Amino acid sequence: MFRSTGLIARHSMALVFRERTVSFLTVLFMALVLVSAYLGWSATTTVNAIYQSAAAFLTSTHQPIPPNPVLNTSPLSLLRNMSTYVSLIGSLASIVIGFQLVAMDRKGGVVPLIGVRPMAGNAYALGKVFALVALVLGLVGAAACVSVMTFQILPEFRLDGTGWRHLTLFFGTSALYMGLFGLMGLASGAYAKSETVSLLIPVTLWLTVTFIFPQLTSNIHPTAALNPVKALVDPPHSSFFTYAELVLGPVSLADAYKVLSARLLEFLPPGHVIRSVVSPATTLVMATVFSIGLAIVSLRKMDMTKGDYDA
Amino acid sequence: MLKRSSPIWIIATKDVADAMQDRFIIVVTAFLVAAALTALVTGAVALATDVMTYNDARTTLLALGKSADAIAAPEFYPLRLLRGAVEQTEIIGAVIAILVGYRAAASERGRKTLALIMTRPIQNRQFMVGKALGGLMLLAGGLAIVFVLTAITLQVVSGVGLTLTDLGRIAIIWASSVVYAYSFFLLSFMLAFWLKKLPTALLLSFSIWLLVVLVAPQIGDTLDPDNQVAGGVFKQLHILKTDQIRIMRGYASFETIREGIEAASLTKRFERLSFAVLGIKDTYVGKPLASVLKEKQGDALWLVLVVFVLQALLFSRPIDLNRLTQE
Amino acid sequence: MISIDKLSKAYGAHVALHKLTLEIEAGEIFGFLGHNGAGKTTAIHMLTTLMKPSSGTARIAGHDIRADPISVRRAIGYVPENVRLYDTMTARENLTFFARLSGVGEVQECIEETLELLKCPELTDRLVGSFSKGQRQRIGLAQAILHRPDILFLDEPSSGLDPLGMKTLRELIVQLNEELGMTIFMNTHLIGEVVKVATSIGILSQGQLVFHDTIDAVRHNYGSDANLEDLYLSVTPVSQAVRVA
Repeated sequence: MFRSTGLIARHSMALVFRERTVSFLTVLFMALVLVSAYLGWSATTTVNAIYQSAAAFLTSTHQPIPPNPVLNTSPLSLLRNMSTYVSLIGSLASIVIGFQLVAMDRKGGVVPLIGVRPMAGNAYALGKVFALVALVLGLVGAAACVSVMTFQILPEFRLDGTGWRHLTLFFGTSALYMGLFGLMGLASGAYAKSETVSLLIPVTLWLTVTFIFPQLTSNIHPTAALNPVKALVDPPHSSFFTYAELVLGPVSLADAYKVLSARLLEFLPPGHVIRSVVSPATTLVMATVFSIGLAIVSLRKMDMTKGDYDA
Repeated sequence: MLKRSSPIWIIATKDVADAMQDRFIIVVTAFLVAAALTALVTGAVALATDVMTYNDARTTLLALGKSADAIAAPEFYPLRLLRGAVEQTEIIGAVIAILVGYRAAASERGRKTLALIMTRPIQNRQFMVGKALGGLMLLAGGLAIVFVLTAITLQVVSGVGLTLTDLGRIAIIWASSVVYAYSFFLLSFMLAFWLKKLPTALLLSFSIWLLVVLVAPQIGDTLDPDNQVAGGVFKQLHILKTDQIRIMRGYASFETIREGIEAASLTKRFERLSFAVLGIKDTYVGKPLASVLKEKQGDALWLVLVVFVLQALLFSRPIDLNRLTQE
Repeated sequence: MISIDKLSKAYGAHVALHKLTLEIEAGEIFGFLGHNGAGKTTAIHMLTTLMKPSSGTARIAGHDIRADPISVRRAIGYVPENVRLYDTMTARENLTFFARLSGVGEVQECIEETLELLKCPELTDRLVGSFSKGQRQRIGLAQAILHRPDILFLDEPSSGLDPLGMKTLRELIVQLNEELGMTIFMNTHLIGEVVKVATSIGILSQGQLVFHDTIDAVRHNYGSDANLEDLYLSVTPVSQAVRVA
């Protein structure tokens, strides 16, 4: 079984990048990783410059000068926009990768040809899951390299041991989050009869956790959800939001990722309270385990006699 | 006016009937309705919480014999509760439009139906116009359902009746959301008709949606220094508005670039128009509709211009039946 | 070589295949005829272990399709109708993948030999996306015989081929049978084609086997091909078949 699983995984990984959409989304993701590094640096230096201008102005008008809001921020926080791009492009790229890993077989009409090969029942399913995991890790690894290079280039930002540990954990968490959606893409690519629907199921789930759940748990509007700072604003003190977070917290994946990444990149506002009954890390891990199971079951149950989509 | 016997009308109504039988279009429209109503209800809950907090503070102050003037009362403008609904329309409405456009093209490609249609005595252009009209009708109808239900719910949650002017403002937002969504319809329809592989067209449409709807506004928003500190950098520094303007004059080029990125996004244009008309943005609260529309005509024209350009592109290329009828 | 015992498949109330019982000897070229929707593809899907039967079983090269599907798959090759393969890969890349999945040892050598056998070595390093239907059919056949199976299942192999393509395909089938000793199980609804290559035929109608005999016996009893069409139409209900004037 391991031989067949490895073969399916390697073959899938080699083939998926020949799909132009996958290559395009991967390039876009890497471009935005670079942009996020620039944005973080730009925002910090601009706020700093504004502070200097404001301080000079306040001095000239004999007003007290408040402390510089960015003075004590961690160098890791300059990567805060990465968390937004992981939850946007990273997740969508993973959905597309997961979907294409199955779709290229179904549309190529090769599913029956694979089905009649002498391999164990789970080999195909496991091969696809391993391919997805490897691809997502590769993508996140590349993003991590770009981020590390950013730190090397900007001398004023230096990390200590704890900082490097947090950075590593941040990329690990991002890989988990992206992998989650990739697994959903894999599951729906195998399960759905129609090609459009098979893309739409994970995209709809993504839209729901990214834009609708934060609205319910914290009254955060969709555009605010895209800003790593605004997305962490405390909700109004209302029992509605308290109970919403209690109930939805365990499945509010975007919220969980947002809190974990803010904590790891050291820009979580002090005193930020999590009201979910389940910790963010547990939420992501549970969701991943569930998605792996779903993907494997969907792939096992895929009709190996035909395979191609209806529309 | 189109006659019922016109090929354009026949094709358009066929597409609408097809889509109505497709559970999938109904499901995604229902999803947008749910998202918009969720935003509306949570906004109302948040406002109710503010009101309760104010009332408690006011009662305490009065009990202590102090004036309640020290605290600002929360302002209530019902249309401002539509902010979340508008933002959900920006995001999910565009997704729905992409799907409608994609299906309008995909339903004909690869099947013999396109050959059957084009061997009838109709011109290529009539076919394309008919398809575009069908899409427009679907989007207008779907978004009308969203806005009607939202308006009804707004009256219920706010407890305030909407005036004719309020309804007029909502109607303007509906019309501009139709134009906005139609751009995405045209984009995905065009790509699905031109590109060799249909899935590539769908994914490319989604990628453009990502860049225009999410990334560009996010970059513009993130480059705004005021959004980099919780609560706003100027508020943290206790700088008054007039002084803020003086300080930001020194960052004119930076602001120009930031503004340029935001202004290039169709979504941001739609948002600015909607927020102005609905009084969501502070500076437009209580302003007469005519003066708001005059001030925001640039954003409205931008929406219309994008539609014109996409339509011109769509009709500029002839239909390659030979390629399109192959699987 | 193929022993089918009351093989059945039902989808709810609809019975797609009803108690198919059949014996096919090693070295035969068996033509499985039937109208569209008769159940031929369903039968092939069960025999190739792609689908579980509702009842009954079959033994392929001595292995039970229910109890030992992996061994069955080692013994068979399968070419579905309108095989497409991976468009963005070359023929070599496609075949390398399928050869490895089948456990073939010397993969590249095997690929080259197979393409020589099928008289299409020029296709080796070309992208499959650029192939004509006939060329895809050859590569489809190639992937099925890389591991030199005992039995080859072909589902409507001449679908969409021109007369020259059909002739070439017939010759290849006979070659695989005679040179490599493969037993061939071939689905088709084209009587004229099957009688040119088959050594025995079966006719399926509405999920039931209504006729089974050797080609020699059929020719002896029914004479010319035109009469074979009458035979086919006589065992198939009129509502399911169209008389060709």
